[in-house]
Amino acid sequence: MSRTTRLRRSRGTLAVTLATASLLISACGGSTGSKDPAVQAPVKPGQKVDLRFWSWVPGVDKAVDKWNATHPDIQVKLEKIPAGSSGGYAKMRAALKSGNAPDLAQVEYQEIPSFLLENGLVNLSRYGADKDRSKFVDWQWQQGVFDKSVYAIPQASGPMGLFYRSDLFKKWGIEPPATWDEFAQAAQKIHDADPKAYISTFPAGNSAWFTALAWQAGAKWFGVNGDTWSVNIDSPQTLKVAAFWDDLRSKKVIKTEPDFANGWYKDLQTGGITSWVSAQWGDAIISGNAPQTTGKWAVAPMPQWTKGSNVSANWGGSSTAVLKGAGHIPEALKFAEWLNTDPASVDLLLQGGYGWPAAADGYKGSSLDKPSPFFGGQKYNEVFAQADKSIDTSWKWIPTIDATYQHLNDGFQAALAGKGTFISAVQQAQKQTVEDLKRKGLKVSTGK
Amino acid sequence: MATRAPRRRRNLAPFAFVAPFLLLFLLAFALPIGYAVYQSVMDVEYTGALGLGGSHTVFVALRNYSDALSDHAFLRSVGRVLLFAAVQVPVMVALSAGLALLLDSASARGVRFFRAAFFLPYGVPGVIASILWGFLYVPGVSPLVDGMRHLGVSVDLLGGDTVLWSIANIVTWEFAGYNILVLVAQLRTVPAELYEAARIDGASAWATVRYVKLPLLRPALILTTVFTIIGTLQLFAEPLVLKPVSSSIDSAYTPNLSAYNEAFTNDNYHLAAAEAVLLALTAFVLSFGFLRLINKRGGDA
Repeated sequence: MSRTTRLRRSRGTLAVTLATASLLISACGGSTGSKDPAVQAPVKPGQKVDLRFWSWVPGVDKAVDKWNATHPDIQVKLEKIPAGSSGGYAKMRAALKSGNAPDLAQVEYQEIPSFLLENGLVNLSRYGADKDRSKFVDWQWQQGVFDKSVYAIPQASGPMGLFYRSDLFKKWGIEPPATWDEFAQAAQKIHDADPKAYISTFPAGNSAWFTALAWQAGAKWFGVNGDTWSVNIDSPQTLKVAAFWDDLRSKKVIKTEPDFANGWYKDLQTGGITSWVSAQWGDAIISGNAPQTTGKWAVAPMPQWTKGSNVSANWGGSSTAVLKGAGHIPEALKFAEWLNTDPASVDLLLQGGYGWPAAADGYKGSSLDKPSPFFGGQKYNEVFAQADKSIDTSWKWIPTIDATYQHLNDGFQAALAGKGTFISAVQQAQKQTVEDLKRKGLKVSTGK
Repeated sequence: MATRAPRRRRNLAPFAFVAPFLLLFLLAFALPIGYAVYQSVMDVEYTGALGLGGSHTVFVALRNYSDALSDHAFLRSVGRVLLFAAVQVPVMVALSAGLALLLDSASARGVRFFRAAFFLPYGVPGVIASILWGFLYVPGVSPLVDGMRHLGVSVDLLGGDTVLWSIANIVTWEFAGYNILVLVAQLRTVPAELYEAARIDGASAWATVRYVKLPLLRPALILTTVFTIIGTLQLFAEPLVLKPVSSSIDSAYTPNLSAYNEAFTNDNYHLAAAEAVLLALTAFVLSFGFLRLINKRGGDA
């Protein structure tokens, strides 16, 4: 018996270890009241403080180095983690459960409600964070405000536009599509011109992107009224977007490979993918992964549903949050404020490609406000500056958004495998999302 | 009485010897299982839209189990690993046994080299192996896929019908060497007299394999089969790593992936516990079912 146990242990899979670990971890769960712990006092001057910070943002290491050089008493140790939805949040949740979470972490806007529900964030209003409000773009500031209290310091958003290969578009005589109709026509033209080339991929496994497209089409998936959530994913606006991509898919004029994956990077390099509807932070993704295409890209506004209008959406966007259990909250807050407002820090983050600054005056005169050789000398960020002003900022997130993304991913992927359509995936995700919220014991109404 | 004291000491001795094992067994095995079962019958309820009113853990009896069993994605994932096991277990055992017998055959050359070569992949962590194989599966990156395309054969190794077998390939590559080693070790224990006797009786090499080696391999074959059954049901790392490059692997592709996602993505620790317990029960039933089947057919495992 003991021999087989040992053998089995040696072949013991990660999974069982994880499952057991997860179960052990949740031991520390139990019941949490709404009573807040006592407010921590700042440390005395001259006392040394060490903070742990988890992030995956490119370039954040340089900003942290700068902070450490100028603040010898408050040293921040940056630990790079996988990007949020690729395992970073799983890591944070496990750490929160086991009570050894870092002091600060990168938390995207859509995740803030989920972390709140799990009682994972510190109420920063009790530490005077409200005084920073005027330093940030208001709608981004509001992303971290719940029940009149601040739970996260905004960092950056992702106003959207269209990155496209200007050289290839010119070669084939195609204008950057101003409307989605034109986008569909361009998709056909591009694929006719070169059977190996496609206008873009539909990333079935990345529903955050699809969500942003629905956002642009005027959908309002979520709302909250008192303590009742409303879920309205299968609205006409969303179904319109789903039908649009269903159509392109059935005509086989788009790719359906995953984005941010090796095959897709290769396509960016070789012209297999000739455009990308993406957020401003997509610039660093393209220039970093396809450096040999320098000078061949340009940026246009996002294609519109109504000709002549100018509506954008937001994809991604992050905050710096202080996690439950942090030992030095006043100092952690100080760092979060500095990281996202100090001009030197914002500039370093911009150079890394962290997105669109949440700091109120982050764009003007920054490194964004210059012509870019990679984008053929275009001052391409003007497009995003405009986009940033035309986003429906009343969009809300629910605390079970990850599950919603997964339902959409699963449904889209099933559609690619020939089971159902993108439309049925959206309808299914609506039903499942209502169930998810109910599972948590929350009140839900559908927006009908 | 004078005789009683020494006898009690004698009665306690075995317990003293077993104690370290028992303690570890309780701490590392029985306790987590018990705790998982306890977790699976509880659930968290929140007050207020964002739980700002606090939360408390309540007893919900078998609700998590009924939720798991009525979740089509989870049931599909169980079906998927069962299908996977039905193919993977025979392939793995036959392949390992075949290669082990080749290594052990009298005419084998370069035995040490091949034994090391077979075993080497087992030394590569599953995650790394999956990343490496992932590169060989992705079109545009993989020399295999692109080479075949040049020959006019278009294969999608990450598609809905193929990705499960692409995973099977990784698992076979990873663990066959380990199983071969177990089988070779067993073959080494066969007394040389038996081979001599077989030779004197005029047995051919095939007959020796069939009537001497295979029957003596039986215990090791049973062991590797049980390990493979348990291992395939727990399929996790390979699909998790391939997920970003394949559109066909969803969040509940295997039961373990489903439990992992419920726990660490959806914060449903209690549902995850129920799924983990269900998976453990399935592995238990299949492993013991297999052992009973073997024992019924004679011989002792």
